[in-house]
Amino acid sequence: MKTKRYILLSLSLLLVFAFALTACGQKPTEETKPAATEETKPVETEATAGTFLERAYAGEFKGTAVTMTGPFTDEDAVKFDNSVKAFEDATGIDIQYEGTKEFEATISVRVEAGDAPDIVDFPQPGLLKTFVNQGKVVDVSTFLPQSSFDNYNQSWWDMATMDSPTGSIVAGVWQRFNAKSQVWYPKDDFDAAGYQVPETWDDLVALSDQIAADGDKPWCVGIESGAATGWPATDWMEDIMLRTTSLDNYDKWTTGDLPFSSPEVKNALSLLTTLWDDKYVYGGREAIVTTFFGDAPTPMFDEPPKCWLHKQGNFITSFFPAGVQAGVDYDFFYFPPIDTQYGKPYLVAGDIMAMFNDRPEVRAVMEFFTTGASVKEWLAAGGALSPHKDASLDWYGDDVERGIAALVAQSTAVRFDGSDLMPGEVGAGSFWKAMTDYFSGSIDMDTALSEIDASWPH
Amino acid sequence: MSKKPKSAKTKSKLGSLLVNGILLLIVLLWTIPTIGVFVSSFRDPFDIQTSGWWSVFPHKEWVKIDEFKPADDLDRDSVMKIAGVSGTFAEFRAGILKPDGEKVTWVGNKRLGMIQIQEKKWVTRTKFTLDNYDKVLSGKKYVIKTSSGATKEFQGDNFSGALLNSLTVAIPATVIPILIAAFAAYGFAWMQFPGRRILFVLIVALLVVPLQVALVPILKDYVKLDLNGTFLAVWLAHTGFGLPLATYLLFNYISGLPRDILESAFIDGASHFTIFMRLILPLSVPALASFAIFQFLWVWNDYLVALVFIGAKPDVQVFTMRLAEIVGSRGNDWHLLTAGAFVSMVLPLIVFFSLQRYFVRGLLAGSVKG
Repeated sequence: MKTKRYILLSLSLLLVFAFALTACGQKPTEETKPAATEETKPVETEATAGTFLERAYAGEFKGTAVTMTGPFTDEDAVKFDNSVKAFEDATGIDIQYEGTKEFEATISVRVEAGDAPDIVDFPQPGLLKTFVNQGKVVDVSTFLPQSSFDNYNQSWWDMATMDSPTGSIVAGVWQRFNAKSQVWYPKDDFDAAGYQVPETWDDLVALSDQIAADGDKPWCVGIESGAATGWPATDWMEDIMLRTTSLDNYDKWTTGDLPFSSPEVKNALSLLTTLWDDKYVYGGREAIVTTFFGDAPTPMFDEPPKCWLHKQGNFITSFFPAGVQAGVDYDFFYFPPIDTQYGKPYLVAGDIMAMFNDRPEVRAVMEFFTTGASVKEWLAAGGALSPHKDASLDWYGDDVERGIAALVAQSTAVRFDGSDLMPGEVGAGSFWKAMTDYFSGSIDMDTALSEIDASWPH
Repeated sequence: MSKKPKSAKTKSKLGSLLVNGILLLIVLLWTIPTIGVFVSSFRDPFDIQTSGWWSVFPHKEWVKIDEFKPADDLDRDSVMKIAGVSGTFAEFRAGILKPDGEKVTWVGNKRLGMIQIQEKKWVTRTKFTLDNYDKVLSGKKYVIKTSSGATKEFQGDNFSGALLNSLTVAIPATVIPILIAAFAAYGFAWMQFPGRRILFVLIVALLVVPLQVALVPILKDYVKLDLNGTFLAVWLAHTGFGLPLATYLLFNYISGLPRDILESAFIDGASHFTIFMRLILPLSVPALASFAIFQFLWVWNDYLVALVFIGAKPDVQVFTMRLAEIVGSRGNDWHLLTAGAFVSMVLPLIVFFSLQRYFVRGLLAGSVKG
C-alpha cells in the first residue's frame, strides 16, 4: 500500500518537474513547421476564373475567417472594422482583427512559434524586413493582378520589395499612410496677428524671428514618448535631409551607405539645432526632451497662444484639445523647401500589410487592401491617408486631410520615414537615443552622430 | 532615585515618538503618488494637462480682476505706461507689481496681447467629474464620420467582459499551483524517497529561470496541441511559472510544523493522505493564504503571459490589456489610466483584505506546547 503510494507520489512529482523543465528548456534541435511559407499550401491559381477578390465577391469564400493583428487599438480599431465591414458583408469573409499595444514584442514570439496570424499590419517596414529575411512572409506578387500594381505609384512597390532567402519579393501591400511634412498653426490667432504662411525656408526663419520679437516662442516642440523618446526629432532630421541633399543621398542614408558623421547629416542636425534654440522653442531647449509629444501642441490652443508652430504627422490632430475645428482653430502649411534644387519632397510613414499564411481567402483580403475601397470609411473618419490611385480626394472627411493628400500627390518626391527603414537597432534605438541625449545637452553633436554610426549592425 | 526611571520613561516615549514620526513620514511619502492619481482620476482631461493635482487644495494664485486691450498706438518697443505703472514689454510680460499688491501683466504677444490686472487670491480648483470612471466602466463612445457624411456612434467595449476574463484566468491560475505545490511540499518535507534532495534543489533552481525564455517553446507546443488561445493554456502556463516559488515557500512552512503532531497521527494509524488533508492543510492556511495573495496579484497584473497565450481579441482579453488599450493607439487618452488604475485595484484589494486575517491568525499558536 505505502510503497505504491510513494511511487505514485514520486511519479506525479516527476511529472510536475518534467513539465516545468519542458516549459523552461529550449529545444534548439527541433525545427518548427514553417507555417508561413509559400510551399505549405499551394493554391490553385489558374483553376477558376477571375482574381481572388472577384471570386470573393462572387461568394466563393463565404464563411471563412482571416485573422489579423496590428498595433492600432481603440478608436483606430473601430475605424478599421468599419472600413472593412462592407467587404465582410459582401463576401462573407470574417476579418478578425486583434490589436495590441505590445505589437512588436508579441509578433516576434508568435511568428517564431509558428502561430502567426494570416495578415499582419506593420507600421515599420524595418521589422517586417527581419521576417522576410527569415523567409516567413508570402510574396504577394505571385497572385496580385496587374490592376493592383497599377493602383499605386511605383515608389510604394519599391518600398515593399525586400530580400528573402528565395530572392527579392514583394513583402506586402500598403493600405494607408501618414504624411509628416506639414507644420500646424493656430489659424484664427495667426490671421488675427497678421502673420503670413511662409513659402520658403527664409520666410520660415523670418516668421520665427518675428514671433520671437513679438514676445512669444514660435515653436512647440516635444519629443518625449516613453521608451520611444526621441522619435519626433528623427522626423525633423529626415525632413531636413530631404530638403538639403539629394534623394539619392537620403536613400543611401537610410540603408547605411551614407554615415551619420557625413557632412550632409551634420549639416541637417546643425540646421535643426539653430531652430531648436532657447529663443525659438516654448519652454526652452531643455523642455524639448521632457515634453510629451502629444502634449506639445496644446499651448498652441491657449488663448492667446503660447507657441505658434508645430511640425508633426497628420495623426497629431487626435491630440488636439476637444472641440477645436479644422480650418478655423487650426490649419497647416507645407514645411518649406530649404534648398530649392531638391524640389518639394514629402515625408510619409505608413502601414504595410504582410501575409503569413497562404489561403485563397487571405489572398482575396490582400487584394482588397490594394483598392481604395478598403480605406474609404477610414478616410471619411479621419486620421489616415490613402496611397491608392483610385481613392478620390472627395472621400476625405475634412478639408485639412484632403489638403494634405493633395499636397502629397503634387509633391516632387515621396520618401518613407527614414528611421522606420533603418535597422531596428538604429531606427528604433540609437537614433532616438542620440537625438534625445544631444538635445538634452548630455553629449555634443559629433559624439551623438558617431554613436549612431557605431550602433549600425554589420 | 526616583528621577532615573522617569527620564528613562520620557526617553523611551521620545524614542517611540521619533520612530512613529519617521514611519508616518514614510507612509505619507509612499502614498502621495497614489493620492495624486486618485485626485487626478476625478479631474477633467484639460485640467490634468494644464495644472497639477495639488491645485485642488486651497492655494494662493494670481487671479484676473480686470482685462483690457492695450491702446493700438502704444509703442510696444519702448517703455510704456499702463494702469499707473511703467515698464518695457518684457517687464510687463513678467508682471509688474503695483504698491497696492495688484499685478499688471501683459498676456500674449505684442500683437494680440491683453492687459490683465491681477490680484493674489485663495483658489481651490474643485471642478470634479466622474467622466473618466464612466468611460472606463461603460466603455468609450466613438463618434465617427462615415463616407455618406453622417456620423455614427460606436460603443467601445466596457470593462465587465475583461473583468470576467481576468477572473477566469486568475482564480484557477491561483488554485491549481497551490494545490500541486502543497502536495509537493508535503512530500519533500515528510516523505522519504530516493532523489528527494536533488529534485528539491532542481525545483529551487528553477526559481531563477526567467519566464520570457519559455514563451516561444511553450507556444510552439500549444500550437501543436491546438491549445493556444484557450484559458487552459494560460492556466497551465501560470501554474508552471508559479510552481517553483510555491513549492519552495510551502516547503519552508510545512517542514517547520512540529514533528510531534505528525508522529502521533502516524501512531494512530493515519495515512499520508489523511495527515495531509486533516493536519497539514488546516495548519498551513497562513502560508497558503499568503502565497495565494502573491500568485493572485501576479496573475491579475500579468500582461505578457496572457497576451502571448490567449491574445488580445475582445472576447478573451484580460483586464490589463483593456487598460493598456484604453489610452488609445498613440496614448492620446492617457488621462483615463488614472480611473482605470483605481478600478483595477479594487479586486486585488478585496482579495488582500479578505485573506489578510490569516496572516494574523496563526492557527498554530498555542496548539502544541513543548
